[in-house]
Amino acid sequence: MGPVTRKKVFSIMALCAMISLLLLPIIVSIPSPAIGADAPAADAAKKDEAKVEKGRDVYYKTEGIVVGAPAPKTTDGPKDYPRYNFESRVLLWFANQQHLYYGSFVLAVPIFCMIIEFMGVVTKDKALAKKYDQLAYDFIKISLTAYSLTAILGGILIFTFLTLYPAFFGYLSSIFRPVMHIYALMFVAESGTLYIYYYGWDKMKEGFLKWIHLSMSVILNIIGTLLMFLANSWIGFMMSPAGVDEQGRFLGNIWHVIHTALWNPLNVHRILGNMAFGGGVVAAYAAYRFLASKTDEDRAHYDWMGYIAMALGVAFLIPLPFAGYWLMREVYAYRQQMGITLMGGLLAWLFIIQATMIGILFLSTNYYLWQAMGRMRGAEKYQRYIKYLVFILCCGYLVFITPHTMVMTPAELKAMGGQQHPVLGNYGVMSAKNGGINVIITTTVLSFVWYMRGNKVSTLSWAKFGNIFMGVFFFFAYVNIIWLAIYGYYIPANVRVGLSVPQVATTLSCLFFMFALNSVMMKGAKQMGPIEWGKISVRSQYALIMLATAFTWMMGLMGYIRSSVRLFWHVNEIMRDNSPWAYTHTVGFAANMISFNVLFFWVSILFVFWLGSLAAKKVPVSATATAPGGAPQPAGSH
Amino acid sequence: MSALNNPVIAVIVSVVVAVTYFTLVDHFLMDMQGLDYWYLFRK
Repeated sequence: MGPVTRKKVFSIMALCAMISLLLLPIIVSIPSPAIGADAPAADAAKKDEAKVEKGRDVYYKTEGIVVGAPAPKTTDGPKDYPRYNFESRVLLWFANQQHLYYGSFVLAVPIFCMIIEFMGVVTKDKALAKKYDQLAYDFIKISLTAYSLTAILGGILIFTFLTLYPAFFGYLSSIFRPVMHIYALMFVAESGTLYIYYYGWDKMKEGFLKWIHLSMSVILNIIGTLLMFLANSWIGFMMSPAGVDEQGRFLGNIWHVIHTALWNPLNVHRILGNMAFGGGVVAAYAAYRFLASKTDEDRAHYDWMGYIAMALGVAFLIPLPFAGYWLMREVYAYRQQMGITLMGGLLAWLFIIQATMIGILFLSTNYYLWQAMGRMRGAEKYQRYIKYLVFILCCGYLVFITPHTMVMTPAELKAMGGQQHPVLGNYGVMSAKNGGINVIITTTVLSFVWYMRGNKVSTLSWAKFGNIFMGVFFFFAYVNIIWLAIYGYYIPANVRVGLSVPQVATTLSCLFFMFALNSVMMKGAKQMGPIEWGKISVRSQYALIMLATAFTWMMGLMGYIRSSVRLFWHVNEIMRDNSPWAYTHTVGFAANMISFNVLFFWVSILFVFWLGSLAAKKVPVSATATAPGGAPQPAGSH
Repeated sequence: MSALNNPVIAVIVSVVVAVTYFTLVDHFLMDMQGLDYWYLFRK
């Protein structure tokens, strides 16, 4: 057997090992549903011997045989709520948030790797293919260092639960017992796959072997996504329980417990959120390396890396508000009161902060793109129009962040003539806000289109018509979005609520049709000059860091909002929180806590970046040592 | 194609296409939700 054949055999074996790892939890899980399925049969056999107790599912309204204990009725004391001389909830909040940050990062980055590695494989330009491959490798290297930290934080989280909330954690584990071991095995599978994928990079860098390697990344991401879906089912259960009766007793159908009312919207929202967050963090890493670079070559590489990470992150950021909208819609459908608490009551002001953060994300993205046009010859023609985009963005942003009601003193209330401002109060409703955010996203799409054609001039015979059509299409998209926002004021609420769908469709039409049209027009276009990577303003890199920080802050905020909407329930309407901390924090305290979490995450991830840079510094030393005076190492070599 | 490169014709064609498209989007996406897009005008 030749070395190439041996490598192929080993690669196929490694791929099979990964598939086995993926299937292992599924195989192990087969007896679990069987227990639930057998239970009725076994009980039927013993019908005469023992009385079977039945319960009704609180959500699905189906009948099932009670197989679990009721949710414990906790009391404030060392038995149910042991504590240190500190607020237990804050400790748990910290542990949970840090684990989530790192978990999101290590789940998102392999998806990027998969996309970039695939781009490298299908790209015909060999130099570019190697650059993509190197970039994907850089990404996974960062992810690998963060992976151990994620596992450590996961351990800390479990210990925090066991130590501070034993009764609640015991109940949750009893409900999810049929899938707990699957989660653990998935984690083993994820680790195994990640290490094979990482360490097999050099051995499988060409031809058929590269495709095997790429297939490994697909399996890695399937495992990672399933892991996340399982974790999401816990929070879904806590917010909108199902599969249990009104006393919280498990009714034997684990699928009902997992597939709660909010599980699917949470899954979609979290996948998109993780990707946007992961893109932001990698972009910030690239920005940090760009700012620390000593050579033009390094600056060019990290500038390019930052752009790719930012583009991927923003690609997932654009549909994120729509996923959030779906989640909120499902929350309202599940419990209207929960939706009102979120958007119109106790937590409404946090949504104003969220709107501010979303606006910052889009403003930073646009600012980065305008700055990035500075490294292209030919893009100067767009510079004079940027001020109009700034104006449109600011108008959309100001409408988007306008609160419906103001917190005021009685004197201020009297002076203003009511809780709503006579003019600005009109902008604090969903109709206007939907218009505001869609205008912001459409403008971001326009900035991207300008960036993509910055240094190119179309040579097609119908180029003039294409340009005019594009301009007119964008113009009428804005008109339609604003028209629908205004129209919403004149029709009843039950009709108005539907207008958000055509508004979203208008924005997405710009995204898909204009990107497609632009790509067709720019195929074979005349280049005014190459993109001069590395020749970008330092300000743009701070915009990337701003982008990542805003992502991190918003993630912390949204996690807090989602969690605190349960109010004084551990599991909504099933298990009450009787600890002394079953109240909602003030907005100020929550903001400080979120800021602390963000700060801690960034300090710790800077440490991870620093560790990564130590490994990178070692490469040239060993390369020089093994091949003194030899040819430069190819970009794809690790 | 040469006629379409005439700016006046290009603008007219683009306006007709864009306005028709967005009106159809508004109408059908409201209709799909069982809602009447033309509510105010019919009233």
